[in-house]
Amino acid sequence: MRARMPIAAAGAAALLALLATDVGSAAPVRTGSTARAPAPVRTPPPVREEPSPWPLREGPYHGSLDRIAFGAYGELRFAEDRVRGVTDPEWFSVGRIGGFASARFNPRFEFLLEGAWDQGPDDFSLEQADLRYRLKPSMQLHAGVFLVPLGRTNLQHDGPSYEFAERSLPATQLIGVPNAQLGVGVRGVGGKFHGWPLSYEMAVVTGYDDGLIMDAVGGTRVPMGRNNYGDNNGVPALSIRVAAHPSATSEIGLAAQSGKYNKTVLGGVTIDRSRYIHVLVADATSGFAGFDLFTEAAVALIDVPPGLEALYAQQQYGGSIELTRALREPIFSGWTHSRLTGALRVDAVELDPSVLGDSRTRLSASLNVRHVPLGVIRFGWYYEIARDRFNNVTPKAGATLTTAAYF
Amino acid sequence: MPYSFDYKLVVVPSRDRRRAAGSGQGRRLASGQRGSDLAAIAICLLALLGVGCDKLLTSPPALGDRFDQPLQGLDNGELGDFQDGQVQFRRAFTISEGLGPIFNNVSCASCHSGDGRGTTENILVRFSRGTDPVVGEGGPQIQDKAIPGAVAEHLPPGVDVSRRMPPPVFGVGLIEALTDSVILTHADPGDGDADGISGRPNMVTPPGYVPATEPGAGPGLRVGRFGRKAQVSSLFQQTVVAYHQDIGVTSSALSSENVNPLAPSGLPDPDRAPDPEVNDGQVNDVEQYMRMLAPPTPGEWTDQRRRGETLFASARCVVCHVPTMRTGAHDIEALSNRDVTLYSDLLLHDLGAGLADNRPDGDADGQEWRTAPLWGMRIAREFLNGQLLLLHDGRAHDVDQAIRLHGGEATAARDAFLAMPPADRAAVVDFVESR
Repeated sequence: MRARMPIAAAGAAALLALLATDVGSAAPVRTGSTARAPAPVRTPPPVREEPSPWPLREGPYHGSLDRIAFGAYGELRFAEDRVRGVTDPEWFSVGRIGGFASARFNPRFEFLLEGAWDQGPDDFSLEQADLRYRLKPSMQLHAGVFLVPLGRTNLQHDGPSYEFAERSLPATQLIGVPNAQLGVGVRGVGGKFHGWPLSYEMAVVTGYDDGLIMDAVGGTRVPMGRNNYGDNNGVPALSIRVAAHPSATSEIGLAAQSGKYNKTVLGGVTIDRSRYIHVLVADATSGFAGFDLFTEAAVALIDVPPGLEALYAQQQYGGSIELTRALREPIFSGWTHSRLTGALRVDAVELDPSVLGDSRTRLSASLNVRHVPLGVIRFGWYYEIARDRFNNVTPKAGATLTTAAYF
Repeated sequence: MPYSFDYKLVVVPSRDRRRAAGSGQGRRLASGQRGSDLAAIAICLLALLGVGCDKLLTSPPALGDRFDQPLQGLDNGELGDFQDGQVQFRRAFTISEGLGPIFNNVSCASCHSGDGRGTTENILVRFSRGTDPVVGEGGPQIQDKAIPGAVAEHLPPGVDVSRRMPPPVFGVGLIEALTDSVILTHADPGDGDADGISGRPNMVTPPGYVPATEPGAGPGLRVGRFGRKAQVSSLFQQTVVAYHQDIGVTSSALSSENVNPLAPSGLPDPDRAPDPEVNDGQVNDVEQYMRMLAPPTPGEWTDQRRRGETLFASARCVVCHVPTMRTGAHDIEALSNRDVTLYSDLLLHDLGAGLADNRPDGDADGQEWRTAPLWGMRIAREFLNGQLLLLHDGRAHDVDQAIRLHGGEATAARDAFLAMPPADRAAVVDFVESR
């Protein structure tokens, strides 16, 4: 903790200096560069009018062709998964694989494209097809398909940067990470709260659709209504996230999305009134007693049609806490940028508070070898208690070996 | 994809960046911290090894301790069918896949907890006016849930109502394999032996959609054996009716949607899934799965339980709760020619006004019920949050209470039980709850 303080203080000071100078002039847009590559917080570059030189200098964008940069990442999973003592025969799988590219038309315009296949939802989704315009250095307008700002995990969920093989339960069961929708929005930095710099993101998006009921298996499942690239009900949803940054290494974010999800007219006949879903997400990133702490909590409030309330939850909530600690770095003297970390996570979701069961609770641990900054080998274990609507317990557990890397 | 907006790079700490900053990437950890961390890892690993792999990765339940296990003696092909059927039995239908338009629940498994009995939360409500099933008013069963655009049913006034717990589904293959003649052996419709107990079969005519090759089907009257009033003679019928009435899913046997007849006319059909919503193979899978479900293993014999068994017999409970019957020939070898210890004669008995629903069902009148098999009792509480919901509507919460609620033909047996000393009653209860 003591070692972190000077860095944190330097980061905070740099942050304040940036804000005092309208931030962006000191923070050139470096599209396609990344926060993924572990690198110490640096003093920002000197003020200048032009963006950083091209091609890009850091991050997973390994390829660059003139003004186009591209890259990809993938994750492999080897596992002994058991459900109530019975081994799942799928011992090897591709966890997720994605590709991304960006193109810059001029210093203010850029276009980002990303698609990924994910084993969890077992679908390919377009995560970004986003045209961005830098209105001013501290503010960006954008339109297209993009990740809605529902929590830090949805905004940053690449496998290679994550400490666990599986995403958290609130992320997968409530938010539906990756959750990308069609819309227009603005994001930027500005203002302070108790002296903490603020960042914001606001968007008007297509919102969730009635898949959260119509395609839901066994009760309300919010993720089944996500990833909309077209509105089904004519009413956009509003998605907002505001984050405060107490230091360069910490963040407290609050996010919400609210919008109509159902169709009200079928075959020209009005069959229902408008029904809304509200999703609230809070996340925090900080250091704690020598550990890196990340926590995220989510609540979903759903207006369920009459006749379905008994089976389809009107409220769901969950949370996760992750603790990570660097154990050794470099791991060997020859591995200059290698790092060994240990991580522990507790996560849980309550999918229907009106019944005793319909919930999941999980404990995960992982020992991670980052032999290079953009890749990781994880030795993981998890134990999950899943409860059905009768409150019958199904224990699930697994030992996993996963590897993820940008390429 | 990196979150590439510039404020993120400069202002917002990514977790990687924060870790890098917090832990000081590029610097070595202090040797003391490194040593203590590695020691902690070593201790954790040793502890995990001590706990053992099965504890860490879950272990299977003991054989016979669940309701969803297959019969012993199935061949590999049958076990494959069993697995396929289990998937279909657990399948929760979405609205897009055909759930509704009106329904009670989303899957077979969502009513039969762990393949055992259900709870009062998912009790089914049957109704009629006398012998009229009042189909025009939504009978014979209330579907209290509806998909968007459909109208759920409500109980019409002035009807005879019967609330029925979802029954266990294990062991139904063994019940199916009992021949009509074996069941009829125990019938005494005229109470010829003048013992006050007059079991009679519910003779039913299988509907036309039940293939004649199905057990319990064919021309003429057959002995009903499934359902609280033994009103169904074949597993096939039980399966397709449950799909149709409980889940709102059509099959080739019942291919028209079940709709609320009292809903306003002119509404568009909200169920856009093409019919039939399950194919014949899926129906067959579920039927085969239930057929091959084994009853749980009874508990260990103890002195008290042996005494309880003797007292159970001496109180003449066994006249209706016949301990064992023998199956006949069956296509599935594991069901053929074996003793079935189900403690039931599968016949109808008048259990008195206290338990009456006053609603006829086939040949059964409003006071008659099929003798409930006494199996799976030992582990039933595990699947019902510690409860034991007995009798047709779950009103009895333990065996003692259930016996006390017996009347009609069971009055003498009940009184004999009540006349026993407390220790003997406890022995009877212990015996029954160990089955």
